[in-house]
Amino acid sequence: MDDIDAMFSDMMQEMDLLTQSFEAEIVSVPLPKPSSIPDPQEMNFSIGFTDLNASLHDMEDNDLDALMADLVADISATEEKFATDRDAFKGSAPVASIPSQPQSNFSLQASADTSRPATSFNSIAAQPPPPTSTPSKEELEEQMKADKIKLALEKLKEAKVKKLVVKVELTDGSSKTLMVDERQTVRDVMDNLFEKTHCDCNVDWSVCETNPDLQTERGFEDHENLVEPLSTWTRDTENKVLFQEKKDKYEVFRNPQNFYLWKKDKKSLTDMKDKDKEQLLEENFCGASVIVPDLEAVLYMKEDGKKSWKQRYFLLRASGLYYSPKGKTKASRDLVCLVQFDNVNVYYCKEYRIKYKAPTDHCFILKHPQIQKESQYIKYLCCDDERSMTLWVTGIRIAKYGKQLYDNYKAAVRKAAGSATWANRTIQTSSSASTPSPTPKAKAANGHAPQPAVETKGPGNQTSFPEILPPPPPDPMLPPPLSAPSSTTNVNKIPPPPQFPQSSFPPPPMDDMPPPPPPPEDELPPDFMPPPPPSLTSYGGAAPPPPPPPPEPLSSLPPAPPAPQNFASAGGAPPPPPPPPPPPAPEPAAHRPPGTIRKVAPSPPQRTTAQLTAPSGGDFMSELMTAMHKKRGQQ
Amino acid sequence: MAAWDLTVTVEDLGPDAPPIQISVTSDLHIGGVILKLVEQTNLKKDWSDHALWWEQKQQWLLRTGWTLDKCGVHADARLVFTSQHKALRLGLPNGVTLKMRACFSSPVFRTVIAICRVLNLRHPEELSLLRPVEEKKKKKDKDSSEELYDLTDVPLTAGSVQALYNGMPAHFADSPKTEAVYKMLSVSLPSPAPEAIARLYRPASVVDKTHINTRWLDSSRSLMQQGIQENDKLWLRFKYYTFHDMDPKYDAVRLTQLYEQARWAILLEDIDCTEEEMMLFGALQYHIGKLSLSQDMVSSCQGMDDLESALKSLEVKMVGDSNSTDMLENMTAPELNDYLKIFRPKRLTLKGYKQYWCKFQDTSISYYKSSEDRFGEPIQQLNLKGCEVAPDVSLAGQKFCIRLLIPAPEGMNEIYLRCENEKQYSQWMAACKLASKGLTLLDISYQNEVKNIQTFLSMQRSNCAAPVAQTDDSINTLGLVSPRYHKKYKPKQLTPRILEAYQNVAQLSLTSAILRFLQIWQALPDFGTSYFMVRFKGSRKDEVLGIANNRLIRIDLGIGDVVKTWRYNNMRQWNVNWDIRQMAIEFDGNINIAFSCVNADCKVVHEYIGGYIFMSTRSRQQSDTLDEQLFHKLTGGHDAL
Repeated sequence: MDDIDAMFSDMMQEMDLLTQSFEAEIVSVPLPKPSSIPDPQEMNFSIGFTDLNASLHDMEDNDLDALMADLVADISATEEKFATDRDAFKGSAPVASIPSQPQSNFSLQASADTSRPATSFNSIAAQPPPPTSTPSKEELEEQMKADKIKLALEKLKEAKVKKLVVKVELTDGSSKTLMVDERQTVRDVMDNLFEKTHCDCNVDWSVCETNPDLQTERGFEDHENLVEPLSTWTRDTENKVLFQEKKDKYEVFRNPQNFYLWKKDKKSLTDMKDKDKEQLLEENFCGASVIVPDLEAVLYMKEDGKKSWKQRYFLLRASGLYYSPKGKTKASRDLVCLVQFDNVNVYYCKEYRIKYKAPTDHCFILKHPQIQKESQYIKYLCCDDERSMTLWVTGIRIAKYGKQLYDNYKAAVRKAAGSATWANRTIQTSSSASTPSPTPKAKAANGHAPQPAVETKGPGNQTSFPEILPPPPPDPMLPPPLSAPSSTTNVNKIPPPPQFPQSSFPPPPMDDMPPPPPPPEDELPPDFMPPPPPSLTSYGGAAPPPPPPPPEPLSSLPPAPPAPQNFASAGGAPPPPPPPPPPPAPEPAAHRPPGTIRKVAPSPPQRTTAQLTAPSGGDFMSELMTAMHKKRGQQ
Repeated sequence: MAAWDLTVTVEDLGPDAPPIQISVTSDLHIGGVILKLVEQTNLKKDWSDHALWWEQKQQWLLRTGWTLDKCGVHADARLVFTSQHKALRLGLPNGVTLKMRACFSSPVFRTVIAICRVLNLRHPEELSLLRPVEEKKKKKDKDSSEELYDLTDVPLTAGSVQALYNGMPAHFADSPKTEAVYKMLSVSLPSPAPEAIARLYRPASVVDKTHINTRWLDSSRSLMQQGIQENDKLWLRFKYYTFHDMDPKYDAVRLTQLYEQARWAILLEDIDCTEEEMMLFGALQYHIGKLSLSQDMVSSCQGMDDLESALKSLEVKMVGDSNSTDMLENMTAPELNDYLKIFRPKRLTLKGYKQYWCKFQDTSISYYKSSEDRFGEPIQQLNLKGCEVAPDVSLAGQKFCIRLLIPAPEGMNEIYLRCENEKQYSQWMAACKLASKGLTLLDISYQNEVKNIQTFLSMQRSNCAAPVAQTDDSINTLGLVSPRYHKKYKPKQLTPRILEAYQNVAQLSLTSAILRFLQIWQALPDFGTSYFMVRFKGSRKDEVLGIANNRLIRIDLGIGDVVKTWRYNNMRQWNVNWDIRQMAIEFDGNINIAFSCVNADCKVVHEYIGGYIFMSTRSRQQSDTLDEQLFHKLTGGHDAL
């Protein structure tokens, strides 16, 4: 039986490690070096695993060994270290597993994963008396074994959820790194990016992929999953993910007449009344089926494998891209289908005049997303001018995605509008936080500050807050970063307010207030294993017990509270400066949970945990740390 | 006042009975005339539905309070005393003829509303009646063979809300006969025999397409006024192509009939589509036909879809909260293991198929030299996610190949898998198809998929063996496409094409398949355009005016293409000059057009345009009340206002 235990823990390690190596391969991201102790416990199972579905049996038989061998070579040091750890644990069977679990819990919190927490909760609940050795040891062992099997299986399942660490390049040349979960849509990812980049959240922002081999660029649609297309990139790819404003992304919804009435003269198009635009949208996107713009024009096409570009008369229909062969009429039945859109995406191309001797530089291609290099299966098309190219590419997108595109747009508009009001609200928050007393404010500035700018401005804030309007704008973004750690889940900030009262958090802030650091400090320092269990168990006691309600409590539990806290205070006490007491309270609270995380994160630049937190802002974490140090220093 | 004799024919006395003479004065009102008349006939019956029809003037004398003088009736008038509701043979969109009673005295608009109420068709304003196209009479025995559904006994219910009984409106649940009628109305019919399609009239050009639109009846006049006699045949069709508030829950009949109309429009090339689209339509028809056959009558009224989805979610739930052993089982996915022949076509090389031991697991195929090597490294592993799967099957040649186009960074890899027999083929094919969508053998749709493939194979078998002998579950593919493709392709070639398209729709439920069909139909560029032959003012040649739900288009017959589009929302006003039968329309920006109609009545065109404008006034919130007055105001002639 012990063997099985060992096997499982091995396996888990395995998966962790594998994951890492996989990620390292796949994603063109500078990762913190995989080093030091905690590695094995990392819970980031993004998976490279090819035979994940292979039976467990198979795994122990062959794969594990082989993989092990590989891995040992890779990180033998880590392995050793872990082995010793494990030996230590083995002292008593129950304990052996527990330490590792809390740990996993812990990183769970950090990653704030929605699904996984459930399991770890279970296990925790199942072993409330870990430190004290229990009487019916065998029963317990049985129980534990079952739990462990379950845990392992669920981890396996969870491991199926692919996660990638993605480096997103911004327009200013800098980049952000974030963790993207297989289930996240581009919309979710962009929401993350909004929080991290403090840009205005207008609807034009889009996440694009570029392929230098093919010189193409494509904006992902908001409803797409990001991980899937990225996982089809080759190992040595130089493809990039960009975060930029693309005007043509939703142009069709702002000026539908340019697409649907493209034949009309320019003047009548620019003079179009809003009411007529709305009606156009209504007609074309709100009916039983979406109407595709009736595009037809002579385009150039590069024939399969040939170098020359031939002119053909193309027509766009909902069912695909057609051309009319020479000598035939334009009648539907004579049309030849060049391609249907089920399996292809449309990409903008750059400088094809040089690369492929295209007649103009306004080219687009249609290809299967997995094709990454020149191929006869790519359809190359070339338009006379840019307007025509935008028309065709947009038309094809409408044909391919239909109403989804319009829904995306509406969601984006909502988001943009929401972020505007949100920003306003947070201005209030920050102001209320900054005005009351110098100390909390300093903390606030430090704690939040993802950007140095804010820090410097912090002091200025207190004295002449009203005039210095510049600071608020950056400030409003502060709460997001705080909640960002949890942002790998897609949930944060929605459920929190109700959560807050029932969670065990309220007290801590209170304690915090008078002598801010002590209570948490006491709990945390001993070493970084213990802290989570207490908080968790206490939580478990206070809130509905482990099994069923995992997603909301957990997601909100670790990092989310800060954000809600802020909001609650903002919402509850709108007048910015006057009430001094409320602001401080939220503030510490806001700090603490991150603090908890911090405790773990700092010691080793763990790979996964680091990654997990990194997405929400690696720089932010370090900021936080310094903030905490300062805070402690003050006291 | 002087009394004079009024001659009235009472239809109920028989065709040979002499007209009745009654003595009246000019100030006698119509009601009094009827009273005298009834007394004189000595017939005891319910006369409440009867009214006076003035033959010379072709009008009903329905206002019983009006005097003869006011109506302008004099001694020379020959009146007929007849019932207002008469039997009508109604050609439904699905091609079936239904005999039922309709009102001959009220405007056609209201008559259609009443008919639709009986048929349980919502939004009757979208439908209308038209005179049928004369059928080419080749054989005389045809009339007897035509199955006639009869609803004449069903009373016309006044209430607009219909109680459901047994999943159908109560008035259908009376007898097995009426139940059969409801089934005919709400379940789509099996696809027609190719010969039947070929026999029907097909418009060959846009000019031909204008003919059908000359046949619409005038909505503001009664049937009788338009020369329709008892037992005449009329077609009931969707006239305005804006389908308001379509809800599968309440619109079983409406959806089915609309689907039937769309299907016939495509089969008869009333609306043009490309070959790819035709194949998809064919596949959907096949799918819908198959599901309709297997569906029980009651379940056709929804229920089934809901149940299915409920079952599915239940299944998901069960998978969701399984215990650890279940999970363990779930983790070990089923596999397919077999010897298959693999062939990878390469340029300029003609290599044959080679046999390998193949293992299908998850979404990948791994192949090995032999079954003994299966524990080692595979020669290659093919991940089928996102790949294209196409059948390459010939039953006659006993060839069961699967063509895979697997995307790779460098392009697509083409690989053929050759199976030994049907069974093996259907299993592997189903697995490939699921895998291409990222699903594994675990997926619940797998068994279904296997079955689907087998049915399709058997269908193909019956095709090449004996095209005449058809069983219920085999459908002649020729009945799924327009006759043009009968000539272009042999059934043998057609079947794989339809099968290919079928892959993408095979999972749809009946309702969603119908909805998909309608969606694709509505996405066709020419959808919803009704054509009329007109002559524009100042032009010397005939041109075609297309009327759609949001615009008018002008088609130059010389070029054969759209030369101008006017949208309704730019329209200021339109007028009809009834004397010279000309329509004049003014658009924003001082654009004026005027035209006269060449083959249709000007009223039809006027009504079409006004009708579409009326349709656009219907609000999003569904209100059951129809603004009939507004309709007549927008569509009526000079006498209606």
